[in-house]
Amino acid sequence: METLLRAQDISYGPKRRPRLEDIDLELQPGERLGLLGVNGAGKSTLMQVLAGVLAPTRGEVFVLGQPLRLAPPLLRRHIGFLPQRVPAYPELSVTENLNWAGRLRGLQRQALKTAIDDALQQVQLGSVAARLAGSLSAGMAQRLGLAQAVLHHPDILILDEPTAGLDPLQTQQIRELLRQLSTERSLILSTHLLEDVQLLCSSVILLDSGRKTAQHAVTSETDLLAHFRHRADTDGMGAGA
Amino acid sequence: MIWEIALHEWRRLRAGMMFWLLLAFGQLIIAWLAFAQLESFAKIAPQLKAGGSTLGATDLVVMPSFNSLTLLLLLGIPLLAMGSLAGEIRSGRIAVWLSSPVGSGQIALGKTLGLWLASLPLVLSVSITLAALGMGIALDWPRLALTVAGVLLFSLWLCGLSLCISGLFDHPAAALAASYGILLFLWLLDSLSGPEAAWYWLALLPHTQPWLQGLLRSQDIAFFLSTGIGAVWLASYTLARRRGEI
Repeated sequence: METLLRAQDISYGPKRRPRLEDIDLELQPGERLGLLGVNGAGKSTLMQVLAGVLAPTRGEVFVLGQPLRLAPPLLRRHIGFLPQRVPAYPELSVTENLNWAGRLRGLQRQALKTAIDDALQQVQLGSVAARLAGSLSAGMAQRLGLAQAVLHHPDILILDEPTAGLDPLQTQQIRELLRQLSTERSLILSTHLLEDVQLLCSSVILLDSGRKTAQHAVTSETDLLAHFRHRADTDGMGAGA
Repeated sequence: MIWEIALHEWRRLRAGMMFWLLLAFGQLIIAWLAFAQLESFAKIAPQLKAGGSTLGATDLVVMPSFNSLTLLLLLGIPLLAMGSLAGEIRSGRIAVWLSSPVGSGQIALGKTLGLWLASLPLVLSVSITLAALGMGIALDWPRLALTVAGVLLFSLWLCGLSLCISGLFDHPAAALAASYGILLFLWLLDSLSGPEAAWYWLALLPHTQPWLQGLLRSQDIAFFLSTGIGAVWLASYTLARRRGEI
């Protein structure tokens, strides 16, 4: 089976203080990969590099074997990206925002209309389709962002902290939605919540200060907290010394 | 795709307050100025006729109003354009633009055309208002048409330049300040140096005034086209650099 996405020796930022350093990762069809790290670990930067928003200062991202930076822009159709801040125009309605996202990804007329209807149904925003995006609650706005990301049926879904800033009920709803969306496509999800990884991911990469420190398969026995405890202990010893 | 982006930009601007404020304020100012000019013209028209002057309503009412419109566009288009790229960067929506399968050149050109579409209602409404004077007064129609064409080209040029400047900043207010600074510099450039200076070609007034006097000069068209295309190319370049295509 062909690797969907491969990042090879990715570094980003100035040489003296890189925000990412020598990161390798692979995403296989059907895989749900989590990127876990504390705030400032480099998760969002890595997500933007993987989505083609930022170009790595060293290394290369390959999508279906082709380098994302040099391949024709059409290669980007395989990626659906939800940045940390929902990329919606507050002055436009939910439908108009989806219309923009769909057209930007090459959907036209009937295909676009069908895709918008499907996406609205999938994220349960049909009842607020005519409302301005600026008037949506945080949970609804996040669902709008998800609808924008999956509108063109991408093979790879890259989601940057989709549960950040949500209340417990909204978090649960978004997790349920993500579980549904990831049945049809591969997923890369960045988060600082262990629960997101335990519930949604099949494997996880741990990031620390822009470096990949470990990679695990996620099972019910995986104790991710142990990794952070170990790190905190190591830091504490370093500070004590 | 360029047209799709232009329509999106036009919809986005139309949904905001700034577009309607500019349109209402612009029409009010131009109408007030035009009526003031018309009143003065009505007072001196008998003397002009008696003295055998060739000056008419086109010279004394229509052209000064178009001159005011040019100034208004100079102030208004950077206000519309400040968020076109800087606003996208600041809000984080730039991530969707850059991760989309659309070329950087298409984004820059589409957004420029969208801004131009948003400037058209003001240009056309003022042009129609001034042309309506023709129902009661004799107007120089070819000159009027030439001036409208000139103002349309000027507004397109302004859109390209303002978008380019917007792409260089992460904050719309910074983009607006830089746009006004650069445009003011170009506006005053001819008074800072004589025609023999190398940079005189960049001065704005020597390229806009001939239109208002009924002169269509290829050098003016070449100026607006070359610098406008250059500005859109630079906007496209900055987007491509962010993406790492260059």
